[in-house]
Amino acid sequence: MFLPIGGVELSTLPQQLVDGLLLGFIYALIALGYTMVYGVLKLINFAHGEVFMIGAYCALFTSWALGYIPNNTLGAGQWWMLIVMLVASMVGCGLLGMTIERFAYRPLRNQPRIASLITAIGLSLLLQYGGQIFLPLNQNIDSKINPAAGAFTIALGGGKAVDTATLKNTLQQKQAAFDEYLKRTKADPFNLDADGKKIRSEAQAAERDLKNAADTGKGTTLVIPYGKVIAMIATIFLMMGLTYLVMYTKRGRAMRAVSHDFDAASLMGINVNSIVTFTFLLGSVMAGAGAMMVATFYAGAKIDTFFGMVFGVKAFVAAVLGGIGNIPGAVLGGLLMGLTEGLVSWLGFTAYKDAVAFVVLIVVLLLRPGGLLGSAKVEKV
Amino acid sequence: MSLLQLKEATIRFGGLTAVNAVSFEIQPGQLFGLIGPNGAGKTTCFNLITGVYKPTSGDILFEGQPIAGTPPNKIASRGICRTFQNIRLFKSMSVLENVVTAGFLRHKTSLLSSLLYTPAVIKETKELEAEAMQLLKAVSLDHVAHVCSADLSYGMQRRLEIARAMATQPKLLLLDEPAAGMNPQEKQDLNGMVRNIREQFGLTVLLIEHDMRFVMSLCEQIVVLDHGEEIAQGGPDEIRNDPKVIAAYLGEPA
Amino acid sequence: MKGFWPVRLGSIGLAIVGAFLIDQLSRGNDFTQRLVVLAALYVTLAVSLNLINGITGQFSMGHAAFYMVGAYTAAISTLFHPDLAAKNPLLWLLGMMVFGAVMAGFAGLLVGVPSLRLRGDYLAIVTLGFGEIVRIVANNVKFGTKGGSYGFSVDVHVTAVWLAWLFAFFAIAICRNLLSTARGLTFLAVREDETASLAMGVNVTQTKVTAFVIGAALAGGAGAILAHFEGFASSNMFTMDVSFIIVTMVVLGGTGSITGAVVAAVLLFFVPEKMRDLPDMPIGGITAFFILTGLVVAALRYVSQHYHGAASRKAMLYSGVVVLGIVIAAILGVALNAIPAVKAVPLVEGAKLRLVVFAVTLIVLMLLRPQGIFGKSEFSWDWFRRLGKKSEAVLS
Ligand SMILES: Nc1ncnc2c1ncn2[C@@H]1O[C@H](COP(=O)(O)OP(=O)(O)OP(=O)(O)O)[C@@H](O)[C@H]1O
Ligand SMILES: [Mg+2]
Repeated sequence: MFLPIGGVELSTLPQQLVDGLLLGFIYALIALGYTMVYGVLKLINFAHGEVFMIGAYCALFTSWALGYIPNNTLGAGQWWMLIVMLVASMVGCGLLGMTIERFAYRPLRNQPRIASLITAIGLSLLLQYGGQIFLPLNQNIDSKINPAAGAFTIALGGGKAVDTATLKNTLQQKQAAFDEYLKRTKADPFNLDADGKKIRSEAQAAERDLKNAADTGKGTTLVIPYGKVIAMIATIFLMMGLTYLVMYTKRGRAMRAVSHDFDAASLMGINVNSIVTFTFLLGSVMAGAGAMMVATFYAGAKIDTFFGMVFGVKAFVAAVLGGIGNIPGAVLGGLLMGLTEGLVSWLGFTAYKDAVAFVVLIVVLLLRPGGLLGSAKVEKV
Repeated sequence: MSLLQLKEATIRFGGLTAVNAVSFEIQPGQLFGLIGPNGAGKTTCFNLITGVYKPTSGDILFEGQPIAGTPPNKIASRGICRTFQNIRLFKSMSVLENVVTAGFLRHKTSLLSSLLYTPAVIKETKELEAEAMQLLKAVSLDHVAHVCSADLSYGMQRRLEIARAMATQPKLLLLDEPAAGMNPQEKQDLNGMVRNIREQFGLTVLLIEHDMRFVMSLCEQIVVLDHGEEIAQGGPDEIRNDPKVIAAYLGEPA
Repeated sequence: MKGFWPVRLGSIGLAIVGAFLIDQLSRGNDFTQRLVVLAALYVTLAVSLNLINGITGQFSMGHAAFYMVGAYTAAISTLFHPDLAAKNPLLWLLGMMVFGAVMAGFAGLLVGVPSLRLRGDYLAIVTLGFGEIVRIVANNVKFGTKGGSYGFSVDVHVTAVWLAWLFAFFAIAICRNLLSTARGLTFLAVREDETASLAMGVNVTQTKVTAFVIGAALAGGAGAILAHFEGFASSNMFTMDVSFIIVTMVVLGGTGSITGAVVAAVLLFFVPEKMRDLPDMPIGGITAFFILTGLVVAALRYVSQHYHGAASRKAMLYSGVVVLGIVIAAILGVALNAIPAVKAVPLVEGAKLRLVVFAVTLIVLMLLRPQGIFGKSEFSWDWFRRLGKKSEAVLS
């Protein structure tokens, strides 16, 4: 009889935000690949999502090799198995990334960039549809392989004792009064006179009170599977490693030089080819790690050749949002994307989740044409 | 009334004052020179006049009207056109097409008639092409009219830039280092060409040039910039003997 | 203007005759008819995107959105005025083409305005995002029980192959006309150098927005035809992939070349469609095909970069490389199939290879001819004249 009061429930907000944040770390990890490649080659590597997809397959095959084939009867897995899977998909993706760079992008490096972009789209289609011929579809990594199966449950807001009984009572009375009024006057519930409206609004007020009281009384619990926490920690470590590589090693410095000015760097004696290869390697390795973690720790992640599409697009948006070519930007963008998604789902617009990501992106780009942390280049005349 | 007047024009990029309170006046029909060492702010002055940048302070008057902050295409239609120091031709177009494009400023037909390619548009296009050929003759490029502009030699590209700017039928023509990269013979030809154009089309010319002999032999009035400041102004002889100018070019005397 | 009307009426007549000829030839077989209509629509889409991407240089990757706006405009209008639509379907469709074009033109305006602030890749991303937003919103549009992710059925079918082609010819004519005028050159000028265009008095803002609006409107008209031909319009007919395919057509044809856009549209549309008829294939053969492609591409690139001799010898080398590649691949295919494990794998349906072949074509063409099939050049009758002259010279 009554419409729900307000479309949202406050108590689910923390859970959605935490879920979003955890997912955001994965987005950030994939976004790093987009951003680094863009940094050195100014190329949007549309095939990156498919590299991610192949990473998931590497993890899947490794899990099969470890005995966790479909319908197996094994018990819980071991930690080292996870590490083997992680390494396998990182290595697999790294090799794939380097191969793609060498044979598809390098021959086109002196051509207009649009040629590489079309090749990237072609590669992405090739991996998606060619994969359908050679790869098994609709597979799951057996979740038993994860030795940490449980979840953290955290109670928030503590359950304050509230006397809901009287409130419930009042509500029942008011509702009864309203029903009785309807019966008596045979009024159309959608077209009430002043009296009817008054009775109805009293009933609604009672319902609202009860609901609020129940909310404060209930408190909220957060459920965070151990797997997702492991994924987050691993991601943070990987990012720290990457930061070290890029900021404090010779190769990293060369990489930054190439991304600042490709031609000048090559004139300064930097072996540009090896740096570009290295960049693809790093980016792809990150995607591989992300793929393994999504495939293993995110329940219900069905692996097929389109596995990389959603993550690829989201991560790509994240990279642009943060300022493409900018490494901290990619991380920030990824986290923001995750949080935004959580927020949008919480508001009940799940159907518009992907659209909202793009709306945020467009608004940011219009206000800051170089992304959040990037700077738009001004051309000198 | 002067054709162009800069009044204390100033522009800052962050902490750098690229042009600092520069004032000068150009009379109609003059050949006016703007010189100074590298990085003095000459090109930036052009950018201010043509609307690429808006001055931080100060005024720019064209035919007595303020034009500072007006979009570049509006300024072009008022009658100021320029060439670029780092040649900016429409590279994939032919020489003729480059000039016709600039002539579009004076088109009269509507978008719809262009889409339908009506007789009026065909006639107009023919006219623009004929005018463009005329201009190409003036800079002696008519023999390469249908060559792709990217394939021209450096000197020819500079001359094409001049022809292209002329196609907008400006009252004031700004030339940014038109003789850069030319050999002595080409420079001499260019000298004659600029004079010729001025006579033939009744133009006023403001030009930037590093070649002192070229400037001194061509210009009637010269302004010297250094570090964004105006350090001297006058006829070629005054400038030649100005101690400040000599110091700016040769470094401070010991 | 002497000679204007004969030429103009002659070309219009030729277009009409051509359209009806195509219509007649495609009759009788529903499948062929569908292909021929879709080919016309893709030609329209490629040519209209070429105006935005190729000619004006504004990298747009959301063209499917404009197509969709046209289709949805037609579908929803038909939903609300079924009687009016049924009274005279052809007239209704013509009206819907105009209405769809207007609505898509508005969408073009909406996208064109951000294009003023953004350049290159960033513009590409924003247009891509715009396309996705429009699609997702459309996916949730509902009127009563109709709409949503199932889309709308369009109960007024119009099967007018001739109209689709006439519209495609119209799009080609408009772009070609534009490029023959000084105004058209300003579009190219914006692509080449915005700063210089501004200095020459070109209103860059207006030019960009005009390109977006015209391009979008043409796509919208095509969308209306699609909706009435297919009998329904749903958001999953207009995914990002469709936009990618249209961009690919423009680039493969040669960015900026109208001729290229037309040829690539027909080619890229028909090649994959023809693949549907492919027989089932053993997996060894497919593997061999991949290896063959890789080998031949590598060899062709090698020849084109390292052989600088007579053109005829170069051509011979090219064909030799291709033949040799095919021979090697055939041997390899047979050898692979001899392996029991490979032989045990069930045959792969030919239809599954459709998009694989599409992708391979894309990569191969880009690697061998990055500037596109036609580069920046256009079709012209002079080619035939020159060919004629050559043969005359040979004969005499
Ligand atoms: N858009 C800009 N942003 C920041 N600094 C600028 C910009 N444009 C010019 N400058 C600076 O302003 C100063 C003057 O530059 P300008 O190009 O006007 O010199 P110039 O006199 O034309 O020198 P040259 O003879 O080398 O052409 C230089 O230090 C230059 O780096
Ligand atoms: Mg300069």
